[in-house]
Amino acid sequence: MSDKVKLVYLDDEEQNLFSFQALFRRDFDVFTTTSAHDAANYLTNNRDVQIVFSDQKMPEVSGVEFFELIKEDFPEPVRILLTGYADIEAVIDAINRGQVYRYVTKPWDVNDLKICIDNSLEKYRRDKELKEKNSALEKANSELEKFVYSASHDLRAPIVTIKGVINLAKMEDLEEKSKSYLEMIEKSTNRLNDFVTNIVHYYQNMKSDEIREEVDLQSMINELIAKFKDYADAFGIDVQCNVVQSHKFKTDANRLIMVLNNLLSNAIKFSDSNKPKPAIEINVVQNMERAVIKIIDNGQGIEESAISHIFDMFPKSADKNIGAGVGLFIASEALKKLKGKINVESKSGVGTKFIVEVPNLV
Amino acid sequence: MKELSEVYIHLVDDNDIDIAVNTKLLQLSKISEHIYSYNGAVRFLKEVNSGANQFEGHLNVVLLDIMMPVINGFDCLDQLQIMPEETRSKFKIFMLASTIDRNDIRRAESYPMVEKILEKPLDVYLFKKFLEETLGY
Repeated sequence: MSDKVKLVYLDDEEQNLFSFQALFRRDFDVFTTTSAHDAANYLTNNRDVQIVFSDQKMPEVSGVEFFELIKEDFPEPVRILLTGYADIEAVIDAINRGQVYRYVTKPWDVNDLKICIDNSLEKYRRDKELKEKNSALEKANSELEKFVYSASHDLRAPIVTIKGVINLAKMEDLEEKSKSYLEMIEKSTNRLNDFVTNIVHYYQNMKSDEIREEVDLQSMINELIAKFKDYADAFGIDVQCNVVQSHKFKTDANRLIMVLNNLLSNAIKFSDSNKPKPAIEINVVQNMERAVIKIIDNGQGIEESAISHIFDMFPKSADKNIGAGVGLFIASEALKKLKGKINVESKSGVGTKFIVEVPNLV
Repeated sequence: MKELSEVYIHLVDDNDIDIAVNTKLLQLSKISEHIYSYNGAVRFLKEVNSGANQFEGHLNVVLLDIMMPVINGFDCLDQLQIMPEETRSKFKIFMLASTIDRNDIRRAESYPMVEKILEKPLDVYLFKKFLEETLGY
């Protein structure tokens, strides 16, 4: 086995093959043939070929056609076309379509040919390096994702246990002081829980495929409101909903729940205790094409300067820093996967309206 | 129609604190006075296999944690699944998960014994509601 770089040269004129061999056999391991079939066979058995030369004008297949045939199975070797001036249009076309890296006119100038080989070897090396770096990057990325996902998944178990203990403790007869400490613990635990849950949801959203299933929006929203009932009651918020559905509706239920979960939890979290009647209204109108879900609250509202950043990953809010900040980012990412839209109208001190549009995938 | 209080509840979890908390919550909410707990699915299955008498003569509702070492919730279901119909029919299963994964839901739905998959911490009122639905109130 030689460790010389391997080249393949396909040409129907044997004279060309001989002179090519004579020029390069000292520096390279050169395989020459007049048969496209043999050239392809050689490539199959020699995966490390770095450059393939082909004549354009041949009786059975043209050089461009040959390249087209081998491109898919052997993408790595750099392809160079040797051709007379007459075929220049075919060459331009082939280069534009990415089948050929360079062309050399015949009769060749030895220097040109050498420069061309140098360039091609450099390209081969770069391509290979890029490919290796790319796959290393992909691997690192997917490992990181897996790590974050399983770490947050594992983190939830003890958090959930703590929440269970808090729930239980709240049912006991406690002193005022203990009660207030417990409340502090609960608040912090809930924040931690929201944050970790959001991360888990984000990665679930990223990795899972699109799902279409029939969804009854009325019962989905009812369940959601039931889930948040205690939370809303704690803030004295009245939650109303109104659903108009006229057709069968299909979407990815889990992703939609993720979105609505975040919006409703925000609406409660940022309610305004100074208002005489804190309220949240959920309006759903659904037809053949889409569902439009509006979540309207009379809460604290969002500062004008902050509105454009609320869907960012970790938006900085000037005033109160209650949320962990990833919820709306996750909601908008989930909506991207649903091919839906989210819009917001808000006025500080007055309230906020989120409008979610999700296409009907029936 | 069965009375809720006649139902026996079995908690299967590897976490002692979760078992203690859930037992207390179920007692305080007066869903049932018959509460048994098992540290892990291995012990639970062992008792089922030995035909222990806490499973006889009434409906058994199992709160089965998914993430457990050695035999996890789904492994446990697989083992219950291959038991004779007479044994299987004594159980209704509610699965418990700290984070509900879409795959877990799909998997849980493939077992006829599984009624619901619930998120931890156990919401006793929600559980009671589902239990009533299951028993046909």
